[in-house]
Amino acid sequence: MARREDIALTSRLSPFQRIYLLLIAGFIVGPFLPLIIQSLAFRWAWPDLMPGTWWMQQRGKSAIPLAWDYVLSPYSHIWEAAINTVAIGTTVTAICLVICLPAARVLARERFRGKGAFEFFLSLPLIVPEAAIGMALLMIFIRLGLAGSFFGIVIAHLIPTIPYMVRMLTAVYQGLGKDFEEQAMILGARPMQILFRVTLPMLLPGVVAGALFTFLVSTNIFLLTFFLGQGKIITLPTLLFAKISGGTLDASAAGITLVVTLPGIVLLLITERFIKEEAFGKGFGN
Amino acid sequence: MTPATKTHPLTRRERRARILLFAQFVPIFAVLVILFGGALVMAVLQSLGFAPWFGVNTFPTLDYFAALWGSATFWTSLGLTLYYATVSTFLALVLGTLLALALVKTFRGKTFYKYLYKLPLMIPYTVGIALAVIMLGNGGMLSRLAAFFGVIDDPGQFLQILKTHYGWGIIAVYIWKQTPFITLAVYAVLLGIGRETEEAAAILGAGRRTIFFRVTLPQILPGIVSSTLICFAFNIGAFEAPFILGGGFPDTLPVVAWRYFNDSDYTLQLRGMATVVSIGIVSGVILFAYLAVYRTFERRMGRN
Repeated sequence: MARREDIALTSRLSPFQRIYLLLIAGFIVGPFLPLIIQSLAFRWAWPDLMPGTWWMQQRGKSAIPLAWDYVLSPYSHIWEAAINTVAIGTTVTAICLVICLPAARVLARERFRGKGAFEFFLSLPLIVPEAAIGMALLMIFIRLGLAGSFFGIVIAHLIPTIPYMVRMLTAVYQGLGKDFEEQAMILGARPMQILFRVTLPMLLPGVVAGALFTFLVSTNIFLLTFFLGQGKIITLPTLLFAKISGGTLDASAAGITLVVTLPGIVLLLITERFIKEEAFGKGFGN
Repeated sequence: MTPATKTHPLTRRERRARILLFAQFVPIFAVLVILFGGALVMAVLQSLGFAPWFGVNTFPTLDYFAALWGSATFWTSLGLTLYYATVSTFLALVLGTLLALALVKTFRGKTFYKYLYKLPLMIPYTVGIALAVIMLGNGGMLSRLAAFFGVIDDPGQFLQILKTHYGWGIIAVYIWKQTPFITLAVYAVLLGIGRETEEAAAILGAGRRTIFFRVTLPQILPGIVSSTLICFAFNIGAFEAPFILGGGFPDTLPVVAWRYFNDSDYTLQLRGMATVVSIGIVSGVILFAYLAVYRTFERRMGRN
């Protein structure tokens, strides 16, 4: 009996959990190893576990790895895709913030009839299949002349990003409370002053977290960009799709995959500092 | 329950405050209603035969649905779509919950691990597909390893993982991408509830299994339900993984819809719309049933 309690209460890992953590880590990052090798290989025939010829052995032909030479050249369109991805992500984030801030404030502080239904409506875009939204929007966008335009992609990206943004901002406002704003008001501050001198500075960490997350979601969107971009606007996910849609992966595709992974790693390093798990959990509480 | 349900007429100030309140919803409401709602309404209208710009206007007709639902391949496609979505969501749930339970413990390198496991969340599905190709393809790493250990001596002998209707490649990509998502959701809830209830159960003599199923699981259930809802809905509507890693005809429904859309016979676009609407209906019905079961369970647990 006493032993059982020990096991149940321990805060240390069980042997199974130790192995499990290793296995999951291997599952998640392990596949990147052959990807890196592939991008540096010159010739890598089956069934060799390591490339038969590395690029170093062919240095006479190219100063940098051949695949990378291509990936970083204008022919691969990777710079164009990267710039598009960042530009779309930034614009989407900015618009999303402007739209969601007022709504989140009301949702966090006021009680009104139909609030539950409204919150459910706000999370609907997350549970309606993206293919359905994408194709239906495509028909509308073609008629409005928005298909294949930067602006069209941006407004399409708003649909899956708004639900996350509004949830995160609502959690931020809930944590903030009304007191400070009320005190500023009592001391005679005007609404604009309250907004810029009191509310926004206190909201900032949460707003940054929400913005980062929105940017992240936007940069990862494939389907909406692919359907609505009509091949005219390429982003990193759609570029990679075009490269691997045949179901094979050559050295340059491996290089592109690694480049497409890069913004994610950067965002991971940043967001881990800003987005607290607890805040994220609030969005999932109900 | 709410004091807001008073019956006397509002004063002018109250009414103004109320209008101001709802004015703040206008931007978000406008975007979602016009874009999202508009898209859904248009999809339904077109699937019912409303497309005057093609010179097709037989609204309302169920012909397109009849033609679609009447074909056996539609049902095969639907079955495949649901199969991939269900299996991968379930496996990701099991793996993710186990991972979240391990993450609440203290161990060396935990900070680093918490960076590491989130990596798939940060990168597009297409990267996961590329990884699946290099690992699971016939010329991939697993096949090379099998050859290294002498199990096979030709790439063709390797187990066909990609491009089959068993869809293990698709499922692997979904799991790779969604396990961290579910882990994050469950882990966040676990942090929120703390360990007091588990400790109390342990002191009262409950074993590990009992504690998990009777104490922890009911508490993390909301996180589980909302995150699996999102994953499942996403998997039903996902396009890129089944397109690249799937077994070809019959495809999953989103791919079928896409093919109708790109057919040179543009009237097939309406059938594509019917496919899209069918995806929406199916996923809607399943998600509502799921939520209904969950609500019933909650009520039986004494929560509302």
